[in-house]
Amino acid sequence: MDGIHDLGGMHGFGRIEREANEPVFHQPWEARAFAHEFVIGANIDEGRHAIERLDPVTYLSASYYARWQLAHERLLIEKGVVDAAEIEARIARLKAEEA
Amino acid sequence: MLTADRVDGVVFAGAPSERSPGDRKPRFAVGEAVCTRNRHPRGHTRLPRYARGRVGVIWRIHGCHVFPDSNAMGGGEDPQFLYGVRFSAAELWGEDAEAPGDSLCLDLWEPYLERP
Repeated sequence: MDGIHDLGGMHGFGRIEREANEPVFHQPWEARAFAHEFVIGANIDEGRHAIERLDPVTYLSASYYARWQLAHERLLIEKGVVDAAEIEARIARLKAEEA
Repeated sequence: MLTADRVDGVVFAGAPSERSPGDRKPRFAVGEAVCTRNRHPRGHTRLPRYARGRVGVIWRIHGCHVFPDSNAMGGGEDPQFLYGVRFSAAELWGEDAEAPGDSLCLDLWEPYLERP
């Protein structure tokens, strides 16, 4: 699809930032998002396409692994494993636990 | 689903996408010029927009691999030959290429390619 993900050759994004001694994961949740890729029951191409299908504003606003997480949520909903309300309820519960 | 005993292998080496071609042979040969199709599918593709309708040269045949355009859309693996294709910067970016003598290599599946 001709989506926002297909950035090759576009102007205006500035230089690529290179981080010295970049860690594999910047936050513990990123490692979990990575692990989910292998257990949600979607193949890697479905995972990539789910990222492409994020709406453009979300795509550009989200960090690398946030895109993975959002794509996984979408795939789990589309495959009927969970529904959107369950995800929202979990988010609300985790927020309440943090507060 | 990835089981615990396979985690190290898959995470460190990747999950192989190469498949047997059966009795099929690659349509294109190393050194041959090819033109990418100018296609704009609504589904998934690994052919970037900037490389559509461009002429490059096959520098490598990677073998027969799962076709993402099909596999992403629930169409099964539909393995296709995969080629390393070299494009000149001038071919991709025209007179605005910052270094027209540079080249860029893309791995492209056979259905993306035709004879120029």
